[in-house]
Amino acid sequence: MLRHATKRILGLESPVATRILPRFYHERVVDHYNNPRNVGAFDKNDSTVGTGLVGAPACGDVMKLQIKVDEETGKITDACFKTFGCGSAIASSSVATEWVKGKHTEEVLTIKNTEIAKHLSLPPVKLHCSMLAEDAIKAAVKDYEAKRGKSVASTTAKS
Amino acid sequence: MAFSPKFLQRVSRSLNSINNCRLLSSSTDSRVLLQHSEAASRPCSSFVHNNNNHCHVFSRDFCSRTSSFDQLNSQGPAAIDYSASLQEDEFHKLADATIQDLLEKIEEYGDSVDIDGFDIDYGNQVLTVKFGSLGTYVLNKQTPNRQIWMSSPVSGPSRFDWDRTAEAWIYRRTKAKLLETLENEIEQLCGEPIKLS
Repeated sequence: MLRHATKRILGLESPVATRILPRFYHERVVDHYNNPRNVGAFDKNDSTVGTGLVGAPACGDVMKLQIKVDEETGKITDACFKTFGCGSAIASSSVATEWVKGKHTEEVLTIKNTEIAKHLSLPPVKLHCSMLAEDAIKAAVKDYEAKRGKSVASTTAKS
Repeated sequence: MAFSPKFLQRVSRSLNSINNCRLLSSSTDSRVLLQHSEAASRPCSSFVHNNNNHCHVFSRDFCSRTSSFDQLNSQGPAAIDYSASLQEDEFHKLADATIQDLLEKIEEYGDSVDIDGFDIDYGNQVLTVKFGSLGTYVLNKQTPNRQIWMSSPVSGPSRFDWDRTAEAWIYRRTKAKLLETLENEIEQLCGEPIKLS
């Protein structure tokens, strides 16, 4: 029922509706909406997990992006997200989880919102969603580094 | 609202008990719905943000509390309590005046400088300026954050806070001022200088 309603909204069902709509989602955004990648959650108390939580519900967008890091290599082995927001926000954070996998935590800090926006062909009004996704990545890495810092400090204190 | 840990924990618990779920929303109104394929023991929660005729079933936890707002923001790159810095009515006065002023000045600019496909529109408190094929600017108020949000074809998205000492809208990350940024960018884009401050 929901799919039917959204298909109507997106104008995917009737060709007449598609012609009338002045703007519509890029197919990549629709793809992430229909086939969401990496939706889920890791245990945030796990020492190998970094959690980035950004946004404000009052603004309409909240993203939680989590990364699982291999402690030896510093590479991100897995990522997942949960986003409350518009289709563009969901797609941006979904793309972010795809792009961080397999990369070093330092490398992912160079992922720019402009790249995400270009990849999804986001219209001007939705560029803020891509910025939020970039912030979510940075926040997740920051959280992981902070946790690591704390555990290193506690082990040195013990010894 | 217990937005960060408690709220999301609650949500994730209900999500885990659902077989097929999806977090999604319609395009313009940021409506969030949790869909499930089978009748779950928990009720389906609908969270609707803005004024909508079909607005119903508002989760009672879904209301802002400054403390959890801080917690939320402290985990992000900018840890600022926005609401304390500027009162809402003061914000509206300042932001409306700024946007109204920009509307007039840019409209005048568009009339005097010949730009192909120039269009300016102010609707639903959103200012949209099209410089034809050169790009589109979108400026709007983001009241909960007491910010003016701008989307620029030159510099992308930015969020400006009101700085009382400087008496200007400033993007904290780059220390850039809204009016100066627009002046520079528009001149760069269209070739003719513009005076906005």
